[in-house]
Amino acid sequence: MWIYDKKLQYPINIKNPNAALAKLIISQFGGPDGELGASMRYLSQRYTMPYREVIGALTDIGTEELAHMEMVCAIVYQLTRNLTPEQIKEQGFDAYFVDHTTGLYPVAASGVPWNANTFQSTGDAIADIMEDMAADATTTKEQPTISRIRKPLILLAFRHFEAFRKNAIPAIA
Amino acid sequence: MDREALLKRLMAADFALHETVLFLDVHPKNRKAMEYYRKMQAQREELAEQYRKNFGPLTYYEVKSGEWNWTDYPWPWQN
Repeated sequence: MWIYDKKLQYPINIKNPNAALAKLIISQFGGPDGELGASMRYLSQRYTMPYREVIGALTDIGTEELAHMEMVCAIVYQLTRNLTPEQIKEQGFDAYFVDHTTGLYPVAASGVPWNANTFQSTGDAIADIMEDMAADATTTKEQPTISRIRKPLILLAFRHFEAFRKNAIPAIA
Repeated sequence: MDREALLKRLMAADFALHETVLFLDVHPKNRKAMEYYRKMQAQREELAEQYRKNFGPLTYYEVKSGEWNWTDYPWPWQN
């Protein structure tokens, strides 16, 4: 089971709304390399993982991804607070707004809704861990784009790549 | 300590603890990591206790008074 810890992993305090930015950041929630997919990937793969150490890593990293998802949602929520109708239009947020207003919906920046096709769960330990490393390596793609805005968040995710590379592979080797 | 400052210290302790957890998951026999875990665990517990006392429960298990105060305090994305 899970229990809610009533705090963010890192503080999010955004003063000024910026819907244009929210449109991009939301990809880290529901995009192909977002935190929703990340958490579902690890938490789905853990059941058939044959080694209890790796099950531990998948459980604890998958749980942390849920906390990352919460931070991303907090960012989007705060960026879209108190928008005027003019700002919604000018900042290109009207298409999202007509479907979801300012509700948090897992969607990529390109407008494609979140899809489980963005990850695999093969039941094969090596295949799954390789996929996990590939997934965490996508943070190097996000670094030059989103990380200028929320560098600490990206650094959090990038640590997992290192954790898989250094720890999970030797554990099953 | 005000709420913001205390919360930041608690977050930092949690982060250090979590990082150690990920390491210990796959290096369970590492003594040095285990010692660090115990140290951060004590520090975390102290900070969490301080937070609970002054700014409300962090989990619903911590609602110890006769009053339901779980929803009284702001949610983490509200500021």
